[in-house]
Amino acid sequence: MTPLEQKPPNPLDDEALLRDRLSSYLQAQSGRSWTVGPFTRYAVGFSWITYGFTAREEGSSDERGLILRLGPPYGLFAPYSAHPQYAALKALETSRVPVPRVFWWSDDVAILGAPFFISEKMPGVAPVPWSGSFEAGYRQSIGAQFVSAIAALHACDARNSGIAQNDTTVENAALKQIDFWQEAGARWALKSHPMLHWALRWLRRNQPVAPRVSLVHGDYRLGNFLEQDGRITAILDWELVHVGDPHEDIGWAFLPQFAMGSGLICRLIPRDEFIAQYERESGIKVNPASVHFYLVFSLVKLALTHIAAIRCFEEGRFNDMRMPAMGTQLAPVLRQIEKLLQ
Amino acid sequence: MNNSLPRLIDGMVATLRSEIIPHLDGEFARGQAFGVIYMLNNIRLRADWSPAFLGEQLAALVELAVSLGSLGVDTKFIPETAPDSSDPRVLEALRDEGDQRVCALMDWLEQQRAQLSVDTAAALDAALFRYMNRQLKWELSTSAKPMFAEISGGAE
Repeated sequence: MTPLEQKPPNPLDDEALLRDRLSSYLQAQSGRSWTVGPFTRYAVGFSWITYGFTAREEGSSDERGLILRLGPPYGLFAPYSAHPQYAALKALETSRVPVPRVFWWSDDVAILGAPFFISEKMPGVAPVPWSGSFEAGYRQSIGAQFVSAIAALHACDARNSGIAQNDTTVENAALKQIDFWQEAGARWALKSHPMLHWALRWLRRNQPVAPRVSLVHGDYRLGNFLEQDGRITAILDWELVHVGDPHEDIGWAFLPQFAMGSGLICRLIPRDEFIAQYERESGIKVNPASVHFYLVFSLVKLALTHIAAIRCFEEGRFNDMRMPAMGTQLAPVLRQIEKLLQ
Repeated sequence: MNNSLPRLIDGMVATLRSEIIPHLDGEFARGQAFGVIYMLNNIRLRADWSPAFLGEQLAALVELAVSLGSLGVDTKFIPETAPDSSDPRVLEALRDEGDQRVCALMDWLEQQRAQLSVDTAAALDAALFRYMNRQLKWELSTSAKPMFAEISGGAE
């Protein structure tokens, strides 16, 4: 390789370089030097890269536990912006939604090689849908907190969140999301899928009017929160946050994929109890027709996520074997859509 | 299967090299892993998706074309008889083209629905659902039992 062909050093491929760049960035932000400890990379998700690290600011004796999240150009839903996640977390810091405090963000790829944000590291572990079993008392307590957090999110004033409103109204909230995902699907699909095409047409014909325009998490489920000693410490993974119909998060949480045959929402709480507590705490009346619409919509979104994984792997952006494995789940998801629409 | 066979094999080989072999203890275990890579590379040179699998998908398209024809719908865009080629790439391209045209037919049906009798529209919907149902059931019956707990947990 000649010098002209040499690729510039990329912090995404070199953790030592990433740590150096991060130290410089923190110094530029605070006006003091920082000592950044080694990174721990967390094997979560297919999109954003997540590192835990400790950092000590010059003159301070406290070592801070922090999280760095980077949206790489080869990620499942790339290209990314860190701003919506930063804005949502910042807006929710004083709310009843448990979230980590967020400190810095930038979409300037010259800094760390990708859009990024830095937040507080929260204690706890993320229970996942497909392993282990929950003791009844634990399940009921976590289930109630799971509902409280989403009810609190939907009760927030979305207009002051800093999230782009995109002229979203109660009338067009569903259409905005159908357009967003259909356009993404057109970029990702390697072939046509008649059941998916049928479902998208059905969604366009059956758009509900939202009860209000809320902040919508976009991936609210078991696996996307941290728990410690029976308490939810943080709701995570805000990369799909947007404004829209609050039923959207309900439809996603109600997916059978997260129930794992338990008959419970996310293996935590019966559907009727979820709805009753949610209505009580959010002040939003749950419309069964809207739940049905957003259940179909969520399956469409899940199918499109699988299609994104298929393309990502086919283009060689990842060799991660979880990608084609996800791709094999396209047919089961389309079959679930068929059953719902028959 | 939604990814191409050559790409799946390339991905498996790359994963073995970069994610598995460096973590294997013991010369014999590493040698076995290289044996798997060698055999995968051989399979890559000779294997392709099964013509029988693709043939069933095309048979479903033919059934749809016959149903639509009996309802007076122009079906020239969907193969009315199964092709005599056994080349999987030819069959795959025909299936993909057929599915693309089924989607176009759905768009047409949406636009024409008001002009069609209720019975005709219902019969067209039913034919399309029979097609999609046959395709999806075939896909599911030819898929292995999912192993996501093992994939995420790293243990059987």
